[in-house]
Amino acid sequence: MIELLQICIGGLVVGSIYAAIALGFSLVYRVTGAVNLSQGGFAIIAAMIGYTLSVSSGLPLWLAIPCAVAATVIIGVALGTFTFVPALERLSNANVLMLTAGLLTAIEGLSLVLWGSQPYAMPPFSGETPLVFGAIRLPTQAVWVFGSVALCVAALWYLIAKTRLGKGLRACAENPAAASLMGISVARMTLLSFALATLIAAISGVMVAPTTSLQFDTGRLFTISGFVAAAIGGIMSFPGAIIGGLFLGLATQLATAYISSLFSNAIALIILLAVLIFRPSGLVQGSVARRQDTRDEVKAVGHAASLPASLALPLAALALAIAILVPFVVTDNGILSGLVIALILFMALMGLDVLMGYAGQVSLGQAGFMAIGGYTSGYLAINYSLPSLLSIFAGIGMSLACALILSVVTLRLRGLYLALATLAFGLLVDSCAVGFLDITGGPSGLVGIPSFSVAGFEFATPRAMYFVVLALDVIILAGLAGAMRSGFGRALKAIRSDQMAAAALGINIIRYKLAAFLISVTLASLAGSMYAFFFNFLSPEMVGTARSLELVAMLIVGGESTLFGGLLGALLLTLLPTVFQPLAIYKTFAAGALLVASFLYLPQGLYGAVVQATIRLVRSPRETIAKNSSETSARAL
Amino acid sequence: MMTMTDARAKNSTGPVSVLGVRDLAKSFGGLKAINDVSFDVAPHSITAMIGPNGAGKTTVFNLITNILAKDAGQVSFLGRDLAGMSAVTIARLGLIRTFQAARVFPGMTAIENVMVGGHRLASHSLASQTLWLSAAREEERRILCRAEEMLELVGLAAFRDTHATELPMGAQKLLEVVRALMAQPKLLCLDEPAAGLNDTETGELANLLRAIRSLGVPVLLVEHNMSLVMNVADHVVVIDSGVIIAQGTPAEIQKNARVIEAYLGREGHGTS
Repeated sequence: MIELLQICIGGLVVGSIYAAIALGFSLVYRVTGAVNLSQGGFAIIAAMIGYTLSVSSGLPLWLAIPCAVAATVIIGVALGTFTFVPALERLSNANVLMLTAGLLTAIEGLSLVLWGSQPYAMPPFSGETPLVFGAIRLPTQAVWVFGSVALCVAALWYLIAKTRLGKGLRACAENPAAASLMGISVARMTLLSFALATLIAAISGVMVAPTTSLQFDTGRLFTISGFVAAAIGGIMSFPGAIIGGLFLGLATQLATAYISSLFSNAIALIILLAVLIFRPSGLVQGSVARRQDTRDEVKAVGHAASLPASLALPLAALALAIAILVPFVVTDNGILSGLVIALILFMALMGLDVLMGYAGQVSLGQAGFMAIGGYTSGYLAINYSLPSLLSIFAGIGMSLACALILSVVTLRLRGLYLALATLAFGLLVDSCAVGFLDITGGPSGLVGIPSFSVAGFEFATPRAMYFVVLALDVIILAGLAGAMRSGFGRALKAIRSDQMAAAALGINIIRYKLAAFLISVTLASLAGSMYAFFFNFLSPEMVGTARSLELVAMLIVGGESTLFGGLLGALLLTLLPTVFQPLAIYKTFAAGALLVASFLYLPQGLYGAVVQATIRLVRSPRETIAKNSSETSARAL
Repeated sequence: MMTMTDARAKNSTGPVSVLGVRDLAKSFGGLKAINDVSFDVAPHSITAMIGPNGAGKTTVFNLITNILAKDAGQVSFLGRDLAGMSAVTIARLGLIRTFQAARVFPGMTAIENVMVGGHRLASHSLASQTLWLSAAREEERRILCRAEEMLELVGLAAFRDTHATELPMGAQKLLEVVRALMAQPKLLCLDEPAAGLNDTETGELANLLRAIRSLGVPVLLVEHNMSLVMNVADHVVVIDSGVIIAQGTPAEIQKNARVIEAYLGREGHGTS
């Protein structure tokens, strides 16, 4: 009994932090209709600055902590002003969510550069001696956490319910268009909500620091837990966020204590998936429904870049010729390996493009299917000496089976909830990869996977593997290009831009979404298997949630709904760190920052820039011919 | 596509009406938005539904296509009861509708928009498209050809590669109509196609509607623009406060006292 109470106290401490982050989610979502995934990042930045100031620089706590919080809020407001607020005007809510995922990645990358990858331990504010009530011991830091979160909640409640500013926030939450007509600056209120969420995240980050080990990527855990808590409790309601947070904290701590720490995440995620299926708007319903027509309207779906047909074929042939010649010119095995990795990821990226770029379905868990494919085929190849091709097909079969189960949830969801469900799925696969020691080898990975081989011929060198993967890429690209330029691609694009109008023309939305999803799953699974065969090894972080976010970054940076764009993104983000070794530590930061910058300044991605440059290059010498041909045949790949 | 004589020949044996609406009713909260609405759409004719703002015209549309669930009544299309069918199934049967606000697909060019309309009758499989089979490519060429004819029909051929959302509102409306026509509908339902069009564009729309009728495609039209309705409609249904107050030919409707009252106001109404 005492033990149970003790665990519950631990659960409530963690839960309060989740609740605070969830409160931030709810606040920003209610005011802007978009989800801000970067909050966990701010929590960790505040904690790290607090550690640096108090432990490394020796400042007293009463000075160090406010300074850390203030610095974080300043960083947050600056980032919000230049990314989040302009993004809300230009991007769809699903893309804003991706953009904040990019912000989170960039913040993580920055923490990695500044603080390295080692964990830090912040000492408790009021010493190690706990308060003792009978048999129950209450750590002093728990009091700090409870107190500060309660203070945040009370202050936020007062601000929203009792002040003029709060009235403005509420007006924006209910009807931004009408609010702006009443003279309320929606951009200012958006920034205010972003800043408040950052403030809450920073305070909770500093307060929770002594109870956990701080690492550059701990922020992601905060974001995900807060997001899950908000979804369980109901993102439209503040009490919902608090209840969801406390519930999640208790559930994970109890699961860790009585079942296994390896599966504590899995339990939280199963609760989440259950909530999404049976009560998608969360346990507590919001008192005011958001007007769907005011903010959620389609914000100019980007026009994908496309090459004129007269240029597409020659350029494709040229690119293929270069790709075939590369291994004869490049002899450095490191760079060649980088190229193989990029080409393997390109398979998964083409699938992701069909799903995200064409069908407009957000997916933050694509690497989960790489993991299922990779582990299945690796395990079968090691333990049953299954031939490579058969084990790849087994992996794809396994992935498709999981995908069909997941699609029961995802096909009914859109936007935010879809992102959440796919994210949860990816995390679930993560924790299974860590937890199923016997099959996956746990955190240390699955070792001794044989190289890819067909009919007794083994492709063990990077160069041999390069040609295998290149051939697969070309086949997949040609096939998907055929489908995307025909009725299938058109139907997906129609669904992406207007579901109701697409249905009114007889397009079966469920069937097409499912087809796009299964294509992306097949390709992700294939990529995961090839990845495992290439490295002869697979560990959870190689195909974890970080990878999922990286895939999204590569796709956006390269250019959505172009099929080919993903390759440019993959090459950039894989080769740069390989070629410039000293810059490798900036890789995470670069992935996040490039994702954000692409969304804001290069909406057609690198592919779009390349296409425009090519068209300009070709047109200037033979202006008239190009003009004529573009007029008659601007059908593009 | 059927010619006029085919349509007439078929008409003599087939169902008398393409669309039969019987005793439709719908309440929102306690308010009866639609009550006892019954009418028919005859083959190869243009039926127009008119009425003042808020009379419930679009609601009737949404009840017919099951976008809203009806409280009572029956809708039959070519002899089949539409009860419980999804929007997709209804579209696949050949009842194609447009929306009040032009809903072109953003991010797609004009020609692509029209080509989406060809989806209903396309038979190509994903596999055959992936393998670039000649049958799939042939079908693709056919759809492209027909889509080009459709753009030609409304004078938008020059804008085939323009992004649909960059076209002026009038062109977007026409584009939406031909996109629906591309699906070779057995009944075309247009929700206020003339809203936002200027006089010239409305004139073009009237010509287009007559062309559609001469192709043998019956049209159900919800419209505000009186001159358009009186110009092209064969049969007019007038609806006010959720009930039908008159039906008949345009000439009959123009003389109907209740219609005039509904449009010009009742005595003592509007003076306060």
